[in-house]
Amino acid sequence: MIELADDTHTNGLVKVEDLKTYFPVRKGLFGRVRGHLKAVDGVSFTIQAGRTLGLVGESGCGKTTTGRTLLRLIRATAGRVLFDGREVFSLSRRELRRLRRDMQIIFQDPFGSLNPRMTIGSLIGEPLQVHEGTRGRLLRRRVGELLETVGLSPHYAGRYPHEFSGGQRQRIGIARALALHPKFIVCDEPVSALDVSIQSQIINLLADLQREFHLTYLFIAHDLAVVEHISDYVAVMYLGRIVEYASSDELYQNPRHPYTMALLSAIPRPEPNRNRRRIELPGEVPSCLHPPAGCPYHPRCHMAVERCGRDLPTLTPKADRIDHLAACWVTT
Amino acid sequence: MECPTPDLYLPAESGRLRFRYGLSRRVGARSARLFLFGLFALAAGAPFLANDRPYAVRIDGRWHFPLFDGLDPADFSWLLATFVVGFVLLFLLPGRLSQRKGDRRGMLLTGRCIIFVLLLAAAIGGLGGAVLRLRPSVDYRGLLASGRAERAYFAPVPFGYDRTDLAARERPPDRVHYLGTDDVGADVLARLIHGSRISLTVGLAAVTISGLLGIAVGLILGYYGGRVDLLGMRLLEIVMSIPPFFLMITMVAFFPRSLFNMIVIIGITSWTTQARLVRAECLKLRDQEFLQAARALGLTRCRILVRHLLPHAVAPVLVHASFAVAGAIFLEAAFSFLGFGLAPPAPSWGQMLSVGISSSGRFLWWLSLFPGLAIFLTVLSCNVLGIRLRDRIDPQGVRVPA
Repeated sequence: MIELADDTHTNGLVKVEDLKTYFPVRKGLFGRVRGHLKAVDGVSFTIQAGRTLGLVGESGCGKTTTGRTLLRLIRATAGRVLFDGREVFSLSRRELRRLRRDMQIIFQDPFGSLNPRMTIGSLIGEPLQVHEGTRGRLLRRRVGELLETVGLSPHYAGRYPHEFSGGQRQRIGIARALALHPKFIVCDEPVSALDVSIQSQIINLLADLQREFHLTYLFIAHDLAVVEHISDYVAVMYLGRIVEYASSDELYQNPRHPYTMALLSAIPRPEPNRNRRRIELPGEVPSCLHPPAGCPYHPRCHMAVERCGRDLPTLTPKADRIDHLAACWVTT
Repeated sequence: MECPTPDLYLPAESGRLRFRYGLSRRVGARSARLFLFGLFALAAGAPFLANDRPYAVRIDGRWHFPLFDGLDPADFSWLLATFVVGFVLLFLLPGRLSQRKGDRRGMLLTGRCIIFVLLLAAAIGGLGGAVLRLRPSVDYRGLLASGRAERAYFAPVPFGYDRTDLAARERPPDRVHYLGTDDVGADVLARLIHGSRISLTVGLAAVTISGLLGIAVGLILGYYGGRVDLLGMRLLEIVMSIPPFFLMITMVAFFPRSLFNMIVIIGITSWTTQARLVRAECLKLRDQEFLQAARALGLTRCRILVRHLLPHAVAPVLVHASFAVAGAIFLEAAFSFLGFGLAPPAPSWGQMLSVGISSSGRFLWWLSLFPGLAIFLTVLSCNVLGIRLRDRIDPQGVRVPA
């Protein structure tokens, strides 16, 4: 098991230990299991209350699966998730339902995550109705307040999702997640589907809400530039594993994993004269079904040595900074 | 994303077509609604419209009210049902549906009040009749002719559906029998009016049974999928392979012929289509993020099924239900035609149709045309109404200005 945490991290609000999510691959007439797709393969991290952990990686690297597994929307294969000291995976259905009030999710797709048949008011009011039994005028008032909190007019309550733009819908999704005053929110690529101009608005809104309600975020994104602004810590994922973990500033200044370096070099900077040295990643992401031996990144790595193809590197701290970890044979 | 059901979907940009189409559909829907409303009124008011007992008759200087004395429990329940349905339609539903109408509301309200008073009168009249004792049928026309009764006020169609007159068999339409008589001399119009009850009862009750069953099974199969779906679909296929006629023949062998049996048999053999429609819709939506969102919010399974999945299936279910009403009415006609349905004095449209081609070698066109027309118009109206309803329910579909 990989120990990410120094002493300050052990009492986090969310603690994920060696999380694994495998999807069985069935083939043939009788659906025999012919192998496993290791979407999440031994991920551990801790998030302290009121902080944000950014989870970054290419599409298909298991970020979203990690987020959904720890909310128990997908069944985990192995591992533990402690939320506020309670073990999420062993809760009964009723206990889980109660816990859902404290942990919420904001989805990537603002078009698919709102039921097109329900009005905004009933979408936002539904969790209140179900969990707190709020009804009638009080419910309408609460919905109005929530809409104002996310910067929308309370008059929108009677409208349907298709009448709104992507950014507005994402705000509705946020209002819905906020309705029950959760402690922890998984933001599953909340801005990836939005225009760049809208992205910053939503990120600022999320940051404001975090300050106001003392929220804890797991912020999932495929773009380091987006994560930089909001995260306290950043974890970089590649093929179901965390390859680098550090505080936001440290990671952006001294990346240690070659994959992180490549990602950082891909961020567009508004300085046309600066000499940019972009690291290009050759090839595609290898299949999770047949991950390469040794370090999963070595076939695309620009620094790979012979050992990388043989042994799997573990997350190890840097000598001078104990909270900066990377899984690489070359740079450690 | 939301996908409108493919048939009759119009792209938003075809403005002119949309207007023409919307107009014809609106007119169609309005007349369909009017027809079905009329049919329901006909069914409820059947004993007042077609009855061989007069409303009032004066015999030996005393007034009698044989029509009201002769009302049976079925008549009262129809009157009460009319009252309840009318009340709901007039007062409870429109307030929710037509919030935009605004200033027309006051006018509508007075109109509604008048109808409400009429409905109330119907209910009180019906209930008042229930207190009176039931009396055996008397030939009031004979009494009038022989001079024993001095004066009598008859219903517009002064014949009962079960009053036979062998002297007047197989008469084509004339001034006495507006739509002719059948092979035993019963008035076709009177039977047609009373027959609307049977058709409506069978259609609505069977579809209610099949709809509830189908929706429940479809939701469960579609939402859980996997092994549940696999087993459930095989079960469904077994039910599909049972022909309703076969079941009906078996039933008739053991039990007396009755409306109830017919409804149950049509209901339990026709739910499979509804179940498959609902299942397909659920499978389509299974991986949608809003369902994950609903689960993440900690909603109960029941709520997810009913509030988040079912509304998406409403459109196909409604459209199919309208066809199913038609199917049930046809099936009832077929049962009656073959003699598994209701016993002869009961006025069923299907039974009347069969008389038109079977008796004494003559082709009694009025016995084929009028019940046939009644079935056709009822079925057509159900379909038109279903389509219109679907448009109103689907918030993203074509929105025709109402």
